Amino acid sequence: MHITEGFLPPLHAVAWTAITLPFVVVSARRVNHLMRHQPQTKLLLAAAGAFAFMVSALKLPSVTGSCSHATGTGLGAVLFGPSVMALLGTLVLLFQALLLAHGGITTLGANVFSMAIVGPWMAYVVLRGAQRLGASLALSVFLAALLGDWATYLTTAGQLALAFPDPASGVAGSFLKFASVFAPTQLPLAVVEGLLTVVIVNFLREYSGEELQSLKFPPQTLLVTETRS
Amino acid sequence: MKVRNEGLLVLAAVLIVGSFLIGSRQEGAEFAGADGQAMEAVATLNPEYQPWFGFIWEPPPEIASGLFALQAALGAGVLGYYLGFRRGRAHRRNRPDAGD
Repeated sequence: MHITEGFLPPLHAVAWTAITLPFVVVSARRVNHLMRHQPQTKLLLAAAGAFAFMVSALKLPSVTGSCSHATGTGLGAVLFGPSVMALLGTLVLLFQALLLAHGGITTLGANVFSMAIVGPWMAYVVLRGAQRLGASLALSVFLAALLGDWATYLTTAGQLALAFPDPASGVAGSFLKFASVFAPTQLPLAVVEGLLTVVIVNFLREYSGEELQSLKFPPQTLLVTETRS
Repeated sequence: MKVRNEGLLVLAAVLIVGSFLIGSRQEGAEFAGADGQAMEAVATLNPEYQPWFGFIWEPPPEIASGLFALQAALGAGVLGYYLGFRRGRAHRRNRPDAGD
């Protein structure tokens, strides 16, 4: 999902940066708020960031004969809510853009948007939805991380399609072309991401009860609707 | 029902190894990055497009692999520290008399 440095036309680069910036500002405030009012969750937040840092460095082989990596942003999103991940994801992507020639500064806005905004929000919405439908927590977390990962890669495909429409079939045709590069590769990798996220959440439920309680995780969606009705 | 973590980790490993084996059979499988392939698709859609901004710094290949390893190690280190710390604390609480 890393769009390489210089691979978005200037106008697109500026637009994605402008769209992304407010999310990162809100995210920084949210993290700041968490640090001040729930300092006991500081270490868990660092661990969630570290998970994204770790898995986005690991390029895994896929069935297509190409390589890609997980995003790792679903974990933080389901635990802390989606907004904290914009800041954490920006730090990860900045590290890669500056030190690894992976991604870029001109494409940072677009990459943060796909990995650290769309992915986490998708994960969060899926978690809530699955819980409301009565799915077990493990299944909900699995689906959240999996679909968050896919959403990130499809967003990248959309961003590239907007910048480089197909001369014949337009943006839609171009989207299919880019999606066909990412989607099959990401298919098994997103499942792996889902599994790893469940492993960590299982661990947290066993050993980090207090922190999860202060974060109100797992979300008690059913309970709330019952008391309201 | 609590799904066993060991089983999930084994499943993840099987998926990765299985993907590699299936991927190896694909024609011209080089396990190149999907990101790079997408940038190649840009070139076919718009052959005239020239990246207008280059990398500020590009690490030599050996340094790059080291930095990738460093990134994974830092992430795994912090995550492992957290998990070990919490597990140790929970165990100590369950057996208060066994403290050191």
